[in-house]
Amino acid sequence: MVLLLALWSILLVYSSVVTLAYKYHGGNAIFYVFKHALFVGTGFGLIYIIHRINYRYFSRIAQLLIWIVIPLLALTLLLGVNVNNASRWLTIPFINQSFQTSDLAKLALIMFVARTLAQKKDDLKDFSGTFVPMMGVVLLVIGLILPANLSTAVVLLATSLLLMFMAGVKVKHLLTLVPLAISAIAIIIILAKTSPDFFPRFETWNNRIENFISGEGNSDGNYQTDQAKIAIATGGFMGKGPGNSTQRNFLPSSYSDFIYAIIVEEYGFLGGLVIILLYMALLYRSLRIVQQVKGSFAAYLVLGLSFSLVIQGMINMGVNVGLLPVTGQTLPLISKGGTSFWFTSISLGIILSVSRSIQEEEKVESLKQNRYVQA
Amino acid sequence: MESNKLILRRAYLLYFLIGMGMLAIVFRIFQIQVIEGSIWKSKAENLTIDFRKIEAVRGNIYAKDGSLLATSVPKYEIRFDPNTESLSDEDFYANVDSLAWCLANLFQDYSPEAYRERLVQGRKSGARFMLVRRNAKYTELSELRAFPIFRRGRYGGGFIYLQHNKRQRPFRHLAARTIGYDRQEVLPVGLEGAYRKALRGVSGQRLMQKIAGNVWMPISDDNDIEPVDGYDLVTTLDINIQDVAENALLKQLVKHDAQYGCVVLMEVQTGEIRAIANLSRDEEGRYYENYNYAIGASTEPGSTFKLATFMAALEDGHIELTDSVETGNGKYEFYGTPMYDSKEGGYGTITVKDAFAYSSNIAAARIAEKYYKDTPQEFVNRLYQMGLNRPTGVEIAGEGKPFIKSANDPSWSGLSLPWMSHGYEVSLTPLQILTFYNAVANDGQMMKPMFARRIEKHGEVHKIFDPIVLEKSIASKKTIEKSKEMLEAVVEYGTAINLKGAGFKIAGKTGTAQISRGKYGYDKVSYQASFCGYFPANNPLYSCIVVVNAPSRNVYYGNLVAGPIFREIANKVYSTTLDAQEEISDFNGQLASGRPLIPVSKNGIEKDLTQVFNAIGVPYVDECDGFWVSTQTGTDQVAMKEVSTVENLVPNVVGMDAEDAVYLLENSGLRVLLEGRGVVKRQSIQAGVRIPSGKPLIKLVLS
Repeated sequence: MVLLLALWSILLVYSSVVTLAYKYHGGNAIFYVFKHALFVGTGFGLIYIIHRINYRYFSRIAQLLIWIVIPLLALTLLLGVNVNNASRWLTIPFINQSFQTSDLAKLALIMFVARTLAQKKDDLKDFSGTFVPMMGVVLLVIGLILPANLSTAVVLLATSLLLMFMAGVKVKHLLTLVPLAISAIAIIIILAKTSPDFFPRFETWNNRIENFISGEGNSDGNYQTDQAKIAIATGGFMGKGPGNSTQRNFLPSSYSDFIYAIIVEEYGFLGGLVIILLYMALLYRSLRIVQQVKGSFAAYLVLGLSFSLVIQGMINMGVNVGLLPVTGQTLPLISKGGTSFWFTSISLGIILSVSRSIQEEEKVESLKQNRYVQA
Repeated sequence: MESNKLILRRAYLLYFLIGMGMLAIVFRIFQIQVIEGSIWKSKAENLTIDFRKIEAVRGNIYAKDGSLLATSVPKYEIRFDPNTESLSDEDFYANVDSLAWCLANLFQDYSPEAYRERLVQGRKSGARFMLVRRNAKYTELSELRAFPIFRRGRYGGGFIYLQHNKRQRPFRHLAARTIGYDRQEVLPVGLEGAYRKALRGVSGQRLMQKIAGNVWMPISDDNDIEPVDGYDLVTTLDINIQDVAENALLKQLVKHDAQYGCVVLMEVQTGEIRAIANLSRDEEGRYYENYNYAIGASTEPGSTFKLATFMAALEDGHIELTDSVETGNGKYEFYGTPMYDSKEGGYGTITVKDAFAYSSNIAAARIAEKYYKDTPQEFVNRLYQMGLNRPTGVEIAGEGKPFIKSANDPSWSGLSLPWMSHGYEVSLTPLQILTFYNAVANDGQMMKPMFARRIEKHGEVHKIFDPIVLEKSIASKKTIEKSKEMLEAVVEYGTAINLKGAGFKIAGKTGTAQISRGKYGYDKVSYQASFCGYFPANNPLYSCIVVVNAPSRNVYYGNLVAGPIFREIANKVYSTTLDAQEEISDFNGQLASGRPLIPVSKNGIEKDLTQVFNAIGVPYVDECDGFWVSTQTGTDQVAMKEVSTVENLVPNVVGMDAEDAVYLLENSGLRVLLEGRGVVKRQSIQAGVRIPSGKPLIKLVLS
């Protein structure tokens, strides 16, 4: 646990330095840094609060949350704030803070899948009784996210499937999705071509994927990846040093989607490697928790949340180094972006809550043992 | 627990897979850095976007009275991006005609058709940074911003402008070298250079993109970091006196066909420089400011230096003003080298005071020789005590070093002392000599010459410069008093008797130095005429030095070449300085001495003139009822005659002041260019000529 906290604080130092450095030219850099620090602070608060909650409650919460999330997502799609042709944001009334509903949905869906898997632990092999209803909910949520945010939908689908795979759902069942996915993609393409208004983001996806496949080009998408590669190449082994990035001036979204490239530029190959190792350590730590935990729900919960975090990070890094087409995935815990930081914090809080329960059970065990010895 | 084992097995499998993915990322970084590294690095060097400096608006330089001496005028380079993304074909072609018309109408250089052609061509050829106009004025920029298409701004309408600041001196050549300049990669000059830090301000930054041909195009509409304007500098210069000084100097230089000359006028109590003019002749015989001789040119001063010699001897108690000195027949040999006085046959035996007044070289040399022959260092130390070996430390760069030879110098010889006594084998700049004379005028207190009064911004004072005392007292009170008496004698009956005049007394010393020409010695003679002094003699307010180098018309004496310049400046300053005026009783005396009773009147509007005449009780004859009148000042009254202005004919404005002349001429459809100050003396288009069409330029010379 100490290890985890240390890990986060290191990540956060990175984060603040990079954000600070980025906005150096902005005139109101202090405003941004302060705002980010505020989010980080409240994020820590959230972690602490949530880790005090017994994880068993999350099972109930998941059930409730999933039915809140589905209408919310629909609402976002219809009313949400339109950023770059993508309706992803919804403003919470009263506190006037907008957030991406897909972040909430991610949390809710993982909790929901974990709960369902745990409840139907013994009937996992049942295709129509277990797999289909569960998959139905998953696909519904993903389907609502997809028009605005393809990459998040993909991450979420991948996490859900991985979770089911780990829980022991038959691979054969999972494979039934393949023809379904293919037909879904076909329908989207046809729909987009015939009535472009239905999928406003289609053109962007198309461009980005085409750029990625063709490799060379002069459009905006390639401008981003080129600048990112320049950042990585000029970083060298040791980097240019904190705050010395020059590419941040040219790289759009250098504080969120392309932060990894800036990290490599400022801290070098070494810095990039450390980030990856930290993520792997986080994931390993989660697996250790799973190893010690008793209930299946707890295990699935930790696995789902940690894998989704790390997969998201991996996608971000993959995009930055040019392994994947451009997406809007942020680097969890590092990128600037207030509310998604909160949701990450909530995830970590839940993982820690599970971890805490193990320690307490051990304590109870040892107490029992002590009593036994005394008696 | 069984199921958890299965979970873990599968989880670790996935962990392994993710690890592989991460490994791929690490490998990719390695690939980008090492294998493709050179490609990306070279791309980085050719990066086309950068933060570029935008110059701040440089502060103004003002004269003492607030006249603008140097200012920055913003000029704009207007560019157009006809292919900006949000400008559709439809929008472009709907508005291009009116845009072309507006441009043609504003600049009046090409026809609307030609503009349209260019704009359309630009759109078709994919231009992104078309030049519309260089050096557009601010008013033009404001208009351009309201034009069709342009009014949508940088992104919407492709309207791009870049600001450059042009430095201008409204009085052009006046004190040009002292105002100076501060340009890139050139050593800064004058006050612009001395106060460059304050004047410059803080540059801003703007994100710009490099496009073909090493041209930088701004990316955003606004400056990313706004530049901070520089501070304004208020100088001690008086533009009116400066003008008089410059003109008086020019007149004498032309008259004597001199190489160069300079004039400096200093306020006695503060050391503030009121005027500083430096003119030198170019190959074509024209005079202009190109070197600050007053500050930079350290030369042998000649006879003006005698003051120091006499003061040293007075201070040491060796001589009194009434002591006799033998000057003989005008020729005296020191160690076989002859020395001459300027008067044929010599002055014979005269008093010390007369010797100074007549500027006897032999007297100065013999006094020095007599009292300091065995202890020359004592003499040199006295000169050092009077601060003569120290630079004034003016803020303007390039001050010439003063040189007073020490007796320990290896080049010191028996001739050094007698020759130093009248200003040879020493070297001083005009400003250093003036500073010394000013100290005498200021009762012994030596002031640092100062050019800057204060630094301010938008009228708010940021820093005030106080006068600086260089030397509390260069000599005893008695010595100063005696020195003043000698200096007054020079004008009273000595070498500068031609400067004696009514009204106020001048005190000073002439100097006529032979200029050594390196290895040719003094054989091929050329002279430097100078006059340094102060006025009014009984209550010194200003000190002034005039130096004219190499006058070539056979007249080279300080009193004749430099003296008149001094007199003209002194008259002007005296007449405009109320503090300097004597009591009113003296004014009556002037009237009695035959000065005209009736003031000279300018030509102008009849109504205004009669009102003024009535108010101050000047008798006048008004024989007309026109609007514009010319005046003729008689001995006891002013006669006014009508000036007829006929439509389409150029009116006669000679004798009017600038305000009236400009009003009249501009109303007649002419554009006016003024030169000088005062009353119109000449007009470039004769009166009565039919006014040519198209707003022609008429030049007025005022004085």
